[in-house]
Amino acid sequence: MESSQSKHILHLDLDSFFVSVERLLDSRLDGRPVLIGGTTDRGVVASCSYEARAFGIHSAMPMRMARELCPEAIVIKGNSGTYSKYSDMVTEIMQEGLPLLEKTSIDEFYADLTGMDRFFGCGKIASELRQRIIKETGLPNSFGLSINKTVSKVATGEAKPNNQLQITRGEEKPFLAPLSVRKIPMVGEKTYQTLRNLGIQRIKTIQEMPQDMMQQVLGQNGGMIWKKANGIDNSPVIAYNERKSISTERTFDRDTTDVLKLKGIMLAMAENLAFQLRRGKKLTGCVTVKVRYSDFQTQTLQARIPYTSADHILIEKVMELFARAYNRRLLVRLIGVRFSHLVGGGYQINLFEDSEEYINLYQAMDKIRERFGDRAVMRASGLGARTISRSNPFNGKAPMLLANRRS
Amino acid sequence: MKFIVSSSNLLKQLTSISGVLNTSSNLPILGYYLFDVKDKKLVVSGSDLESTMISEINLDKADDDMKVCIPAKLLLDMLKTFSDQPLTFSVDAKSFGIEVSSDTGKYKLAGTNGDEFPRLPEMESSSSLKIDSGILFNAINKTVFATGNDELRPVMSGVYFSLEKDGITFVATDAHKLVKYRRSDCKSGKAASFIMPKKPLNLIKSLVSNMSTDVEIEYNETNASFTFENYKLVSRLIDGKYPNYDAVIPKENPNEMLIDRQLFLNSIRRVSIFSNKTTHQVRLAIKGSDLQVSAEDLDYSNEATERLNCNYKGEDITIGFNSRFIIEMLNNLESDEVKLLLSAPNRAGLLSPSEKEASEDIVMLVMPVMLSQ
Repeated sequence: MESSQSKHILHLDLDSFFVSVERLLDSRLDGRPVLIGGTTDRGVVASCSYEARAFGIHSAMPMRMARELCPEAIVIKGNSGTYSKYSDMVTEIMQEGLPLLEKTSIDEFYADLTGMDRFFGCGKIASELRQRIIKETGLPNSFGLSINKTVSKVATGEAKPNNQLQITRGEEKPFLAPLSVRKIPMVGEKTYQTLRNLGIQRIKTIQEMPQDMMQQVLGQNGGMIWKKANGIDNSPVIAYNERKSISTERTFDRDTTDVLKLKGIMLAMAENLAFQLRRGKKLTGCVTVKVRYSDFQTQTLQARIPYTSADHILIEKVMELFARAYNRRLLVRLIGVRFSHLVGGGYQINLFEDSEEYINLYQAMDKIRERFGDRAVMRASGLGARTISRSNPFNGKAPMLLANRRS
Repeated sequence: MKFIVSSSNLLKQLTSISGVLNTSSNLPILGYYLFDVKDKKLVVSGSDLESTMISEINLDKADDDMKVCIPAKLLLDMLKTFSDQPLTFSVDAKSFGIEVSSDTGKYKLAGTNGDEFPRLPEMESSSSLKIDSGILFNAINKTVFATGNDELRPVMSGVYFSLEKDGITFVATDAHKLVKYRRSDCKSGKAASFIMPKKPLNLIKSLVSNMSTDVEIEYNETNASFTFENYKLVSRLIDGKYPNYDAVIPKENPNEMLIDRQLFLNSIRRVSIFSNKTTHQVRLAIKGSDLQVSAEDLDYSNEATERLNCNYKGEDITIGFNSRFIIEMLNNLESDEVKLLLSAPNRAGLLSPSEKEASEDIVMLVMPVMLSQ
């Protein structure tokens, strides 16, 4: 066994990926502030060009606020299909030359280069790869190279835009020390505020603190953050992540109390997820329903059920949970459904409760959806819900992860 | 009161009825045996409120008649350590303190008043019939594994006894599999039916396994009792309407497969090791005289396929099953060859022995799992 000290982990990130793709398609966007994301009032910025960042805009910022900061920015709704296509092109290039690749999102990759240095030198391989991606796809990208995932990711962030940074072994702590604690992956807005209130600004301060103290302040996460701040991270590069749950949620443009509409959307979400289960040959053993009110109070309820993928059982359970979860007379901002505890298999038909007609109907509907798309057939009460179709979550590709959902 | 009893004889009787005791009950009295001494006979009872088991022991010596409850675990633990020897029990009539004397020493236990023990239900307006212990053993053995555990559907957690003038039918199902076992060589005076819980049936099964005797079954609307040799078991019946099992057994089954039972069983056992650990799903694909058994676990990239020869009449078919169910069923059949009747991938499969005794009829039904194309 080689010790973790001798590992070489590469983190590669496509710079403002969505914007770069849009610029490939339309060169008029070059050099101008571009925002990509939801165009409604509730939409958030999924990606923005470096020119837009100069105005103080960052991803996950509400679109309305971004427009106020930079009225001349060009706003594009974006097309996930096109982005996936370009992302796949990059994946293909990387898979060709690398032994172990992990795709964590549409524009982010980790690769384990351990052992490659004996032949070529890791830095050389990585920069050649970066140039190849630029040459073949035209997409600017940056990478960080170090002994583990955390340090590499931070290095990539420091290298951007369109550049590279290699941290030599033993230099991890000095490299991290002068940076803001905000740069540690895992530290979000809330944790950052907590740390700032404690007077911690630079990673150096965390490095000098005892681990126990961090744990006392921030609980379990504190220990993790302390480790990351010290450049310690033993998590492996995993080639393929089995999906542990599938979920869908919907934030309304305008908060609503229209129970009929809410129920219709709940039903459509449950129906679509049940179809995804069957398509992926999966069964679920746990159903979760989420309701977020306009005051951001969130109610989630979950229930264990016998493993199933049948519409009538899942829809009934989702509706029952929703009826219990939605118990305040308040405007609703978001609703969502999640199926977890997934196992491979087909639905065990019940001798007394399932009629043959139902089973045949499901199979016929699944066949139609497989051929003509997710929304080719559906229950009429779910028709009102428009945007609930999605790509196959079980084809082994990383899920489409929007910037505002990243941890 | 005083009586003398052989330690090994007492231990044997106590152990055979100890299965009924529920150690996790929050009713303390259910952790006791009731000792009832009457006319030189010791009647021991154990109960979990649902069912009560009673065993009778002849005593060589006993003075007064008396009832006392003795802590079950303490007594059993003590008896297990003795070699065979006479034990003298003396019970204080006021304090219910029990003193046991052996060859080597004295042991004191705190008992309680025998009147506190749950009373046996009165069997009013009951009917009865007699059945051979071997037949009853077979009937329980072949059905009880198919009962369910769903607390929301209590009727399925027991075995349905359907008594008719020309035979008795025993049925068990958990909504995914079903067994219907019919004997035409035992008869009931009148038509009736009841649902027996599975726990007492398992107790009866283990007791009658080596016996050759008649079992007397007495039943009414709420209770049933089984009496054989020196044992008696009284159980509350499960209240409710049993599902209409005959309606769900498909009548038209155009596809018929005959196959060696042991080969089929071994193959499914082996292949199922490679199936998903939660769903145990296997796939049967039958084409001509060729049966292909396969399973896969995508999470671990495990996969297995086997080919077997079979005698098949019908259309090509691919059908998925939970391998646990098939294994249990094949294990509970005895014939060398079994017959699997199929109609469609979404409909039940029927498993039965290819040859059977004249007085016995058994059908095992298993529901498939939905396979996506």
